[in-house]
Amino acid sequence: MREFMHYITNAFYSATGWNEDNTYKELNATARELIDFPLPRGLRLTLSSLATPHFATSYQLGTVGIVDGSISYLHSTVPLTGVAAQSDRIPLAALLRSYRRLHDLGSRDRQWYWGAEEAPAETASTLSTDEIPDQHGSSLLYGRLYLPQSLLEGMVVRRLSPALQVQLSAVSERSLRNGGTLLGLVQYDRGKYGVEGLASTDGGLLGVRGLYNFGGDTSSSAVTSPSSSSNSESNGSGQLGERERIYGRFSAGGELYYGTLNKSGGMSLGARFATLPSHRGTPLTATLTINPLMGNINATYAVLARDYCSLATRMEFNVYSYESEWAVGMELWSNRRPAGFLLGADPNRQSEPDPGPPRRKERSFQAKLEWRLDDTDPESEAPRTEEKPAAAGTGEEYRGVLKARLDQNLRIGLLWEGRAKSLIFSLGTGVDLRKLGEPFRSLGLEIQYSS
Amino acid sequence: MAFNFNWSPLTADAEFYKRARDLLTTALNKSPKPPIIVDDIIVTEFNLGSVPPDLEILEIGDLAEDRFRGIFKMCYSGDAFLTLKTRVQANPLNTYLSAKPGFTSPQPLAAASSLTIPLQITLSEIKLSAFIILVFSKQKGLTIVFRNDPLESLKVSSTFDSIQFVRDYLQRTIEGKLRDLMMDELPAIIHRLSLQLWCPDQMAKEDEEPKEADEPGVNPLATPPLDAVDAHGHLLDPAAISELTLDGGPEAQLLFSQKTLRRLSDLTRSQVTSSLDTAAPRDVLFRAWAGQSDKADATNSPPLSTPNLARSSSYTSAHTYTFSDSVSQDHGSLPSRPSLVHLNSATAGLSLGSGRHNKAGRKKKTRVVNLRRKAGTEVSSEQGDETSETASIGVPMSEPVMPHPILEVPEEEPVSGKVRFSRSPDLGEQTRRASIMAERPKTPEAQMPAVGISDSATAPQPPIQLSEKPRSREVAKESGPVDSKADWRRSRPVSDTSSVILEQAWIMKMAGEIARRVYDEKTRNPTFWDDQDDTPPPAYEAR
Repeated sequence: MREFMHYITNAFYSATGWNEDNTYKELNATARELIDFPLPRGLRLTLSSLATPHFATSYQLGTVGIVDGSISYLHSTVPLTGVAAQSDRIPLAALLRSYRRLHDLGSRDRQWYWGAEEAPAETASTLSTDEIPDQHGSSLLYGRLYLPQSLLEGMVVRRLSPALQVQLSAVSERSLRNGGTLLGLVQYDRGKYGVEGLASTDGGLLGVRGLYNFGGDTSSSAVTSPSSSSNSESNGSGQLGERERIYGRFSAGGELYYGTLNKSGGMSLGARFATLPSHRGTPLTATLTINPLMGNINATYAVLARDYCSLATRMEFNVYSYESEWAVGMELWSNRRPAGFLLGADPNRQSEPDPGPPRRKERSFQAKLEWRLDDTDPESEAPRTEEKPAAAGTGEEYRGVLKARLDQNLRIGLLWEGRAKSLIFSLGTGVDLRKLGEPFRSLGLEIQYSS
Repeated sequence: MAFNFNWSPLTADAEFYKRARDLLTTALNKSPKPPIIVDDIIVTEFNLGSVPPDLEILEIGDLAEDRFRGIFKMCYSGDAFLTLKTRVQANPLNTYLSAKPGFTSPQPLAAASSLTIPLQITLSEIKLSAFIILVFSKQKGLTIVFRNDPLESLKVSSTFDSIQFVRDYLQRTIEGKLRDLMMDELPAIIHRLSLQLWCPDQMAKEDEEPKEADEPGVNPLATPPLDAVDAHGHLLDPAAISELTLDGGPEAQLLFSQKTLRRLSDLTRSQVTSSLDTAAPRDVLFRAWAGQSDKADATNSPPLSTPNLARSSSYTSAHTYTFSDSVSQDHGSLPSRPSLVHLNSATAGLSLGSGRHNKAGRKKKTRVVNLRRKAGTEVSSEQGDETSETASIGVPMSEPVMPHPILEVPEEEPVSGKVRFSRSPDLGEQTRRASIMAERPKTPEAQMPAVGISDSATAPQPPIQLSEKPRSREVAKESGPVDSKADWRRSRPVSDTSSVILEQAWIMKMAGEIARRVYDEKTRNPTFWDDQDDTPPPAYEAR
């Protein structure tokens, strides 16, 4: 589960039209999230609120033997008016979905953070870049204090120009050397390529990483249009024959680090192929990263087999030490009410579609796949409302997700996340099949409420 | 005197190396490892070699059948070697990230991927030169302390010998680690190993010694057993007991099992009440000792310090029991003077020996410091030990023998106190001590059991005491002047901190002095002895 503040930060990015995925760091984000999802430990309660469009708070209380907690505040100069922050309205996909679809390059699609009700026709029409207000100069301030440890986190994100963003994050803690560390990040995103430079006070680490996109939509003329969905849709129908084949985008990049104080460095190269949202077949993402210094080869493959099912595998091999690793991950969405038996509610009755306006909120399968709203063209309105009951019956509105992973040490991670009433919960456990005597390595429950 | 050090039998024992390897492995993996080491450190090979170390005895501090303390100089340049195996993380970025907070992590995609390399390190050509303090006691096992940094040089050869930088780094790191290991871990390992070796003894002790704890209600660690005996049934030096009980920690706690203590308290209670049902622990000797001895205790108890008050009060309320398995054996073998030996220990330990326990406990702390000083101070402290033994010779005698004249003691006390203070205390003590010793041969039948107590630690057979007596007397004589000085010097660091402790020490000294006076009186008119010897208290054997 993404934390509330993470969600708000993402909302900020989308509100300012920043594509956070267009960086080398996020090259294999899909497989990483499908396989390496964090398991909650102990009991953790989060109370969050987007009090004003500019200001969000979050309080967390957790116990893993000892009670700890954190207080965090976030301030954004951009009003996050449309963001659905209430935990009963947050789109679960925004919090829980692991499979990341490619954004259209240069697109400023921010709508999937918008609550369904808050996404009327005019919102959809603001999708094009020219209608987004000039957001350079907008900034985000974030601070978090972990209480018993007295650990302070702070982050400043500032947009200097539409293509340039500076991010400064710092941690202050007594146990750290020099009392804390500071990381500066300069991100430059031109759509076709994105470059990042970073510097850390810890060890004087300097780094450069970049990502270059080619193939697919970038090579065609489509790149010229900061595509509204309808645009790409029509574009796709034009290239129907091409899209029957695998239709996606290649990305390649690399990273280079050098610690000026400890005279050590590291580097890696990577490539990715991912299908574009307009691809009609099964969406897939495949990445390959190589660390030539350490002889490490890492290949991942993630596929959105069904709308409710994502799968990912990862293989690692080291040519120097002949060590290998594999891991598989899975994500299964369910439309059953997760805590139905607890709440005494009949799932069938619950899934019964409400008449009237809520029905309009339902998105089509295709739209969901693309993580966007449906086009609100009036002529399609009528047939869609007729489809609605059937769609609801087959479980369009997901209420929970089961994530599982397994690695070569036969360790299983299980995570069940969903929404119960207006609480978003995350229940996870780690199981070690090698030690069947006491298989449960960890158990945790996270509950998040926001208003 | 000769010592025989066996080097080869250690290596001949096939199990020894396996055990040593296991102990070393656990010791190496105990402390949290740096992030660069990603696997357990495993000791794969360990060999002590065939060349024994050169040992030079600098000093023998304490020598007895069941304990030993000495300082050695050890030089070693043999062919011992040790091979370790582990895996290290070769990616510097990986180890760099592992210790950093995730929030400011640069989050590299694959640059931090791990590359673990198996590493084998062989340590050989170890050259040691150390001053070793070795303390051995049967109860506590073997303790070794290095007085200086023992490691002179060693050769580190590893998988990365071809890379100069890595080799130098490893050499430096391992030398540092090994120094820590030698100074901190090795003593612990050896101690554990020795406990394993003498484990059967420990087990046996655990069964026997609790019976000496004759006051069940009180924490045995606060009030050590009054007349502990060793495995052969001979009395232990109070210093040794205090060593055992006062700093033994959990080991010592084991000696007094809850079950035994509860049984003893049951026993006491059954005697206090008029219940006919008496608990009957096995191998226990009952002694009823009512009347004057109780009074004696009552008169003696006021000058004692508070911890002793609790004990004496329990004595005044009830009878005196001595639970001793071994004494019943002595009883059989030496029928002429069984009770005397026994009662000495019981009551003397009660009134004075307990004070000595405390003092000995304090002494124990400073003794370590003494070891680290020059050899001269060591000798003096040793003499102090000896004198405390001789003092315990004189003291116990007075107590059991004085049931009738004990009433005179308070009257005598001020006189003796004055005498003591008007003259130099050292001199007074010396002469008095000398007089005690000189008068001893006159009453050999009274002496014998007493000397038996003092010698019991060294000589197992009481009959030998006569032949040993001259030696002990000599020791006592020559240590007479040094004794009090050493005593005072030893107690000074403590007394500086609080005058209360000094007072206590003084009171104890006074009490010892009084008892010695009383003993002198007894020896001057030995008729008292005859009276007492004729009437030993009735003994009941519980069956």
